[in-house]
Amino acid sequence: MLKPRVVVCLDVKDGRVVKGTNFEGLRDVGDPVELAARYEAEGADEVVFLDISATRENRGTLLETVQRTAEVLFVPLTVGGGVRSVDDIGPLLRAGADKISVNSAAVRDPGLLTEGARRYGSQCIVASIDAAREDGGGWRHYTHGGKTRTDLDAVAWARRCAELGAGEILLTSIDRDGVRTGYDLELTRAVADRVAVPVVASGGAGEAAHLRDAFVEGHASAALLAGILHDGLTTVGALKSALRGWGLDVREAA
Amino acid sequence: MNVALFDYGVGNLHSLGKALEGAGARVEVTRDWSRALALDALVLPGVGAFAAAVAALPTDPAPVRDALARGLPCLGICLGMQLLFDESAEGEGRGLGVVPGRVRRLRTSIVPQMGWNDVEPADDPLFAGLPRLTAYYANSFVCEPEEEQDVVARTRYEDDTFAAAVRRHRTWGVQFHPEKSSGPGRRLIANFIAAAALPAGEAS
Repeated sequence: MLKPRVVVCLDVKDGRVVKGTNFEGLRDVGDPVELAARYEAEGADEVVFLDISATRENRGTLLETVQRTAEVLFVPLTVGGGVRSVDDIGPLLRAGADKISVNSAAVRDPGLLTEGARRYGSQCIVASIDAAREDGGGWRHYTHGGKTRTDLDAVAWARRCAELGAGEILLTSIDRDGVRTGYDLELTRAVADRVAVPVVASGGAGEAAHLRDAFVEGHASAALLAGILHDGLTTVGALKSALRGWGLDVREAA
Repeated sequence: MNVALFDYGVGNLHSLGKALEGAGARVEVTRDWSRALALDALVLPGVGAFAAAVAALPTDPAPVRDALARGLPCLGICLGMQLLFDESAEGEGRGLGVVPGRVRRLRTSIVPQMGWNDVEPADDPLFAGLPRLTAYYANSFVCEPEEEQDVVARTRYEDDTFAAAVRRHRTWGVQFHPEKSSGPGRRLIANFIAAAALPAGEAS
């Protein structure tokens, strides 16, 4: 049977992995190539690079980082951040990415998802949904790294993205991001039960039980985490062994 | 061993190239069929959409079929496996027709199949040392061979059981991505290189 996936996300800026610390700016935490390989060895099922380079000029650095990573990484690599048009997808795939995640550009031009899927197959195209709870109920979709509120209902937009050609939904709860109190399970289930593509839950992972809840209660196909691993609070191996203890059939690192 | 890694022009070949090199092969990425058929083995990678890849096939696939029938070792991965078949429900165009059958959509509630799944192999040199293999899949379509004997491994996803791997003579196709299946996947690629190195008559 298909295994629930544990996905590790790295924020990459100008060719380095960085980490934010309480609005105090970004701290360099290492080489993306080395960190990606280390997480594969620990048992990560996939790696995500989120490019947070501020400027367009650093696109070449990103491509070079992706290529160096693809040469040593033998689990799938998703790259997101800064994809502006369908023409940005090809170079990333050729550099070594397996999947490309898109947010703002798909809102501006939903046809990007369709054209990307037509050219490269829907399994390459990930729609990134950044959702925040609304006061009146439901969730709103945000773009530009969670800064810009759109007029799109997050659940309806996720459905639309899947219909347009996205082969996976990367669903981040803005409310839970970095909080470590668990994924927004209601949001995760609302989307997972309404789309016919896999959903990756993101935002809020603090302990192994949160991943279990994302799979069992949230109906997610995968759970993404970053901070608790980068801070050394736990390891992929420890998380998976806890998940296995609860009867979840996660992959064993060979 | 000189391996031709065929490039349809759409996708990621780095991990696959490195995995082949790791198995001791010298890799030549090419879009030229006469060059591809002149080397010691052929690998058809697995990225892109069916119609786009078919467009990169020769107008007349007979020379490719003949080379494989004569014993040129070949490994088709995911879409590359699907290209070995006659036709696909995914898109227009004819495949290579090396393995009789067609490509159909997965009959499951969530498509694509994205992630790691168990592969149950038969006794075949491609799976040497891999009696239990968990491999990475990223596919919406699967192959339906006409002849059961072509199937050398199976996988089940929800209630759909499909051919995880096929073999005909010295041509193998795998629906999963060995180059994305960590250590066990690299072992499978090394197994292919080892099988390809045997003289055509000795492949078991």
